[in-house]
Amino acid sequence: MPENENEIVSETNSQIYELGYLLAPSIKEEDLPVNYGNIKELVTSFGAEVIADEMPKMIGLAYAMQKVTSNVRNKFNTAYFGWIKFAMGPDKILELKKRLDLDPNFIRFLILKTVKENTIAAKRFVRGETYRRPRSKSPANETAVPINKEEIDKEIDALIAV
Amino acid sequence: MKQDYFSANNIKYIDYKDVEILKKFINPNGKIISHKRTGVTAKNQRQLTSAIKHARFLGLLPFVVK
Repeated sequence: MPENENEIVSETNSQIYELGYLLAPSIKEEDLPVNYGNIKELVTSFGAEVIADEMPKMIGLAYAMQKVTSNVRNKFNTAYFGWIKFAMGPDKILELKKRLDLDPNFIRFLILKTVKENTIAAKRFVRGETYRRPRSKSPANETAVPINKEEIDKEIDALIAV
Repeated sequence: MKQDYFSANNIKYIDYKDVEILKKFINPNGKIISHKRTGVTAKNQRQLTSAIKHARFLGLLPFVVK
């Protein structure tokens, strides 16, 4: 019974976190889902509830990063970037961080407090399209008008007559 | 940019992963543009600054462009 009570308490006190990470590019494409699954499993093993996540994707880094693993200095110009958003009790997040620190697959990771709502989608459609559409429409309307050949012929005749 | 970009587009939480938006607020050298030039409210400028710094840490944005 006391265990159950603790769980309830931790649920009510849970905080939304986001873990963004860079995985070493030495991981093969085929092994990526395995690594991704391991990260998810690790997070859920700490009693977290996963809200949203994204598969790690290969990206070019904005600058070269270094990481020393087993006394070898590795330089990285590319990495797999992925993120996972989850709800977790604030007492367990430090334990998760300590576990992630030991993982050699990570180049870097970042744990942030965030909000439950989706923070990326629907933003990009706001500006770009509303500004471009009227411009693309106006030339289309202009080209549609001079299709009537008879009217053009009449206008030309009228001009010649003058 | 006179009006606050984020309230105009109804963005309540500035995400570090949204690099396309964050790029609008860094100059060609990669420095963060000051609130005087961006016209972003003080609250959003603070959020924006930390979002850019988080993105830099994870290699999504550069610290400097030479």
